[in-house]
Amino acid sequence: MQDRISVAEIPKELEKLLNAKNLINGRVLAFATADMDVNCDIRKNVLILTENELIHGLAPAVTTEHRFSGFKELPTDYKDFTFNSFEVKAISNIMVDTMVVGGIFRADVFSTERAFCAFTNAYKGRINRLAEILKKLINNEEIGEDLLFQEKQEAFCPKCGTPYPEASRKICPKCMDKRKIFFRLASFFKPHTFGIFIICLMSILGSLMGSLLPYLSGSLLYDEVLSKAKNSQILKAIPINDFSLLLLMLVLTMVTIVVLQQLFGIIKGVVVAKIVPNVVCGIKNKVFKAVQQLSVSFFTGKRTGGLMARVTEDANQVSNIFIDGIPFILPNIFLIIFSFVVMFSENWILAIVTVISLPLIIIVSLKMEPIMWHYYSKDFQASRDMRARLNDNVTGTRVVKAFGREKGEAKALNRANDVIKLTEWNSVDFRNKFTAMFQFAIVIASVLAWSLGAFFVLKFWEPEMSYGTLVTFAGYVSLLSGPVNFFSYIFQWWSSSMNSAQRIFEILDAKPEVVENPNPIRVEKLKGEIVLENVTFGYEENRDVLKNITLKVDAGKMLGIVGKSGAGKSTLANIITRLYDAKSGKIFIDGINIRDMAFSDLRKNIAMVSQETYIFKASIFENIAYANPTADKKAVLKAAIAAGAHDFICKLPDGYDTIVGTGGRSLSGGERQRISIARAILANPKILILDEATAAVDTETERKIQAALSELIKNRTTLSIAHRLSTLRDADELIVLEDGKIVEQGTHAQLIKLKGTYFKLFQIQTKALAMRGIGD
Amino acid sequence: MIKMEKDILELENEKLEAGLKINYLTPENCEFYETAGGFAAIRVGEKDYGHINVLRTFPFSALWEFLSVREIDGKQEEIGIIEDLNLFDKASFELIAKQLEIRYFMPKILKIISIKEEYGHAYWKVVTDKGTTMFTTVAGASGAVSKIGNRIIVKDSDENRFEIENVTALAPKELKKIDLYL
Repeated sequence: MQDRISVAEIPKELEKLLNAKNLINGRVLAFATADMDVNCDIRKNVLILTENELIHGLAPAVTTEHRFSGFKELPTDYKDFTFNSFEVKAISNIMVDTMVVGGIFRADVFSTERAFCAFTNAYKGRINRLAEILKKLINNEEIGEDLLFQEKQEAFCPKCGTPYPEASRKICPKCMDKRKIFFRLASFFKPHTFGIFIICLMSILGSLMGSLLPYLSGSLLYDEVLSKAKNSQILKAIPINDFSLLLLMLVLTMVTIVVLQQLFGIIKGVVVAKIVPNVVCGIKNKVFKAVQQLSVSFFTGKRTGGLMARVTEDANQVSNIFIDGIPFILPNIFLIIFSFVVMFSENWILAIVTVISLPLIIIVSLKMEPIMWHYYSKDFQASRDMRARLNDNVTGTRVVKAFGREKGEAKALNRANDVIKLTEWNSVDFRNKFTAMFQFAIVIASVLAWSLGAFFVLKFWEPEMSYGTLVTFAGYVSLLSGPVNFFSYIFQWWSSSMNSAQRIFEILDAKPEVVENPNPIRVEKLKGEIVLENVTFGYEENRDVLKNITLKVDAGKMLGIVGKSGAGKSTLANIITRLYDAKSGKIFIDGINIRDMAFSDLRKNIAMVSQETYIFKASIFENIAYANPTADKKAVLKAAIAAGAHDFICKLPDGYDTIVGTGGRSLSGGERQRISIARAILANPKILILDEATAAVDTETERKIQAALSELIKNRTTLSIAHRLSTLRDADELIVLEDGKIVEQGTHAQLIKLKGTYFKLFQIQTKALAMRGIGD
Repeated sequence: MIKMEKDILELENEKLEAGLKINYLTPENCEFYETAGGFAAIRVGEKDYGHINVLRTFPFSALWEFLSVREIDGKQEEIGIIEDLNLFDKASFELIAKQLEIRYFMPKILKIISIKEEYGHAYWKVVTDKGTTMFTTVAGASGAVSKIGNRIIVKDSDENRFEIENVTALAPKELKKIDLYL
């Protein structure tokens, strides 16, 4: 219960006020707020539900400022609220009307319709919960803990008070522990410690070489060699009197330095090329492995769906900062310090003036680089849209030609192309502006150094300065632009990389909702008896898809499940296979609670054939053997024959070795279905679930599949879900689901006699078929 | 029993056929009125449907045309379609318009004060017809800002919607701020 809070919790000042006004009558059951009045004007509402009354409070006036998620909510002063109390006894017909955005909460009070408030999306969950509790209260139903308590839904970071930018992802980008994430991330690079060391070493050596060049090409070249200075320091170190030889040596040294610099760069590049793919691949492998352990609900959630899509990009992003960012921090710090030391020792006045102009480079980088990335991403999006359109056009070419839309499609492609032209033009234009501004910022520092330095060289100002020193000075000013630029974006890069890493760790750390009992009961062979006791389940909170289902299917018998779309038929199959866990109630197979059963035993003994066939890119043999990879050719052939798939497979030029799936040979719906039946036969399960197995195929194929299925269901407990009642004629028992409840149960004959929903559906289907001459 | 079977099938067929026809609602064949709760209700001929739901079939391209009028309870079956709401009297127009405003709640952005991007989220401060409004969009999320002709629809991190009716009416400075997100 630690992460859950009571929905009855009221803000202290409101509670005080209500108590003072003597408005709270009985135990408070729920509290909710809403942000609009019934005219959709922004106006704060509060709803307090007690055992006896519903209290509705409305702010005195429409507010002129509204803050949605991501901003700190304005404080509410409840003092001037108008409160109205309604006896629970007088309330009926409670409705929360869902709108495109948010909804309206209304109910009948003394049989007269009354709208209480409207609300935007952030308030939806709490209002729905209050409405549910109110309904249960009116109907004298038990109000479960699942309704009275909910997960903590803080909208703000408890540490710094910053609102969460995404309410569903409670991560504060400002105070997430970036250091912790960084060190955790570093573990991915541990196997490459030596490689990283080489990268750092090469970067340092490269910077060292780079830092020597301005001195060699400035002071040394002009003041010592070209000026043939008699008291030259270099002559003291190297006793050569021939200045031409000295010049040659200097030039050779400079060339060697440049060559070494390049060499260090090449070595670094080779090591980087080896490490990056390894690390990226390692991260992705870990993520994919973690994903396989997660429950189905993880993939269907909107939030996590988004995470998955971004994770592959994230792996590259986090790897880049380790390769192109971190190894350069030390060399760049070294370059800055070294340049400053040289500049200040040469001429501190000029150094101060030049350093003052450096922030201009930082400002240009900080202001313009994010905008440039925006333009690049727009450019990328436009190209992606164009590719998608082109792909649609090529794959849908039959439709395009059949409707004579070639010209229209060409025009649409031209339009998409024009967008690319425009985005490319914009990004190139902005890049040019950025380059020009950046160069300008560097030039300003250089120009300052050169022009002011000239006064020192010409001895207008003290201290005196040689020409060579000025050249060296200007060289270091230019050299500084690189590290300054680096530090202007590294912090942002670091932040966004840690955000990416956070997303990766969210997936790696996600806990599956359906977990195996740590000490599971191992059952090698099941008989197949299924018992459900008061099972309730919903994919979303407060929206139950199955309600109090109780049923028993004897081992080896067939249960037909009938119902309209959305009645909960497939959900029933999902919870028996533990793709999801029931919210309440118990499910037993052979008397063992499925929550106590080992996953491997449960899954081994249950096979599902559904409307959605899963054919992956591999040979037909491998596709059938998917359920039992150790199966030999004989067993696969036997299963394919039983599934009625053998004939069509034989007729394919490559037979069982035909590659199917994405990019492989295409198969018809019936063929795919028969392969999945063969897979189920090979799995040899004790429990078989047929979920609309023949819904997507024509009558002839359906007959063939039915024949294959009748072979498959022998001696197995079968749950068969079907719209076409004719396919359920052999069922030992049938249940009719409506709105998540079993409304009818019995054999075909019993249900016909009952003249209820089943009878109605059966009559419509058989009559309609008879009228078309399709019936038996 | 035979008679009963016939009835079921015929009834279903009648329903199917009726469902295939468009029933246009005009000032001549229907009448709108307001319920005690302030909602729109309809009487078509002799039949009083009470509180109704009104849906835009073209929420972006036809605001007042082809409005689907549906029952509020059960299967929310369609009562009929209003081809053009402008053909109705002022009171009916206002009643339905109010209903639509609630259903398609979308404050109109009149002025963009600032859009700041930080840590992968864009923080908007704008002036709408509902007052000063602050909301957050997920930077780079598909569909966060979409352009339909000259209209711009912005969806925040909670899927609330905001609208710029005519992007060309924005001041150049505002246009520059939003341009990066288009």
